[in-house]
Amino acid sequence: MTEQPIALIADDIHKSFGKLEVLKGVSMTAHEGDVISIIGSSGSGKSTFLRCINFLETPDSGRIVLDGEEVIVRKDRRGRLLGADAKQIQRLRSQLGFVFQSFNLWSHMTVLQNVMEGPIQVLGRNKAEAKDEAMERLAEVGIAEKHDAYPSQLSGGQQQRVAIARALAMQPKVLLFDEPTSALDPELVGEVLKVIRQLADSGKTMIVVTHEMGFAREVSSKTIFLHQGRVEEEGPPKDVFGNPKSERCKAFLASTL
Amino acid sequence: MTNGKHQGFYFSFITVLSLLFVTVPFILALGFAGALARRAQFAPLRWFGLAYTSIVRGVPDIVFFLFALIAMDQGIEYIRHMVLCPEVTDPVRQGNDFIVCAKAKMPLSSAPEWAHKSYAFFQASVAFSVVFGAFAANTLYGALAAVPAAQLETGAAFGMTPRQTFRRIHLPQMWIYALPGLSNLWMIFIKATPLLFLLGIQDIVYWARELGGTKTGIFDYPHADWRLGYFLFLLVFYLFLTWISERIFTRITRRVSRGQATIGGAV
Repeated sequence: MTEQPIALIADDIHKSFGKLEVLKGVSMTAHEGDVISIIGSSGSGKSTFLRCINFLETPDSGRIVLDGEEVIVRKDRRGRLLGADAKQIQRLRSQLGFVFQSFNLWSHMTVLQNVMEGPIQVLGRNKAEAKDEAMERLAEVGIAEKHDAYPSQLSGGQQQRVAIARALAMQPKVLLFDEPTSALDPELVGEVLKVIRQLADSGKTMIVVTHEMGFAREVSSKTIFLHQGRVEEEGPPKDVFGNPKSERCKAFLASTL
Repeated sequence: MTNGKHQGFYFSFITVLSLLFVTVPFILALGFAGALARRAQFAPLRWFGLAYTSIVRGVPDIVFFLFALIAMDQGIEYIRHMVLCPEVTDPVRQGNDFIVCAKAKMPLSSAPEWAHKSYAFFQASVAFSVVFGAFAANTLYGALAAVPAAQLETGAAFGMTPRQTFRRIHLPQMWIYALPGLSNLWMIFIKATPLLFLLGIQDIVYWARELGGTKTGIFDYPHADWRLGYFLFLLVFYLFLTWISERIFTRITRRVSRGQATIGGAV
């Protein structure tokens, strides 16, 4: 198998909240078409790591490189990093589709408006183009018939599928999923996982923070187990799940069964 | 009912209504300015916003009106005095008097009556805008703070600029929290318009009393005491105004709460 080009590098990311050091140097490289699942118990830093990738949290130190372009940073007086170029961060964010745990659909907009908003405002598409694109993406996640509804009229599973369509409409280079099914009722988890699985099969580059071990094992090309802000174990899912070397990873997997 | 004095009565309705509608944009503008100042990163601007909303809200309206009126009057005339008649060396304050040269009078003593009247109207508009702007600022400040942070963060995550996030997400979602406060303010504003009289403008309450009474400062007509009738008419007028306003606010509220996961947004 030939090596695909590198889509995203996160290098030695550190992040503290006050005295609590949440990330103690986490690195990750995603090639195009990779589906990387990040697992670990609550408080292991999974979500913070994902949020550092698109600078929703600014890492204290480390590098983020998206498609060969490194995020430009400078240091503040206390030596912590700051995004130095707001324009660049905005552009890079527009190339990183983010799907939130609690969907975060804009509540004052209809489903269609939600999906059209980013392409129109950020990518400068015209309305007709954006609408066609949005309807296609909504059809892709199987919810086109609800395009006139408001988010509050939809079930959690439907909202999350709209949120995925909204991220896809930006035609991102990498999709970031922050526990996309954790806020859902058990019977709604399946419909969302099915959509994410389709995306994985279609060759999208994705980073998925998840508690769904079965999903991580079957769908991802690589699994990272985070423990207390460090990468404790990583590799192909069949190794991480089937033959974990780390005691902590073994204990974690045992507890999730 | 059609004599000259009644023309004054009718005209005062126009004065009151135009004060209401002329002032509203300024109240909202000052309200937004005050609210945004209080949210500013730059500390002195934040202090200024806080000082504005706290001081103006903390002073009785009447006191502020009288103070602002005299301060504005004297301030403008003082500046004009300095600029227009530098040759006068006498101090402006002589004992209890505030004396400026004739050219500095605002408006000039020779100006026609309409100029005096519009100047008084202008002053009243400024005073009302400043007072109600402070209340609006507080309401808008609270409403801006009530929008869930996740909604704005999502805008940022999609690569929107802070300005786009404000205009496309923060502002539209804020109204539902601001409207109850703003509608209260509007009602209080309507009911505060008789304060115009304090500012030397003959408003509808002034005319109702003058025309209704048997013997007043300017009239001495041989008719019975009609004040009850005139005041009743004013009650109906104010009630009508507030009733219409309520209906309009209800409609706007319904509009901005569409889709919101609030009780009011239930579709």
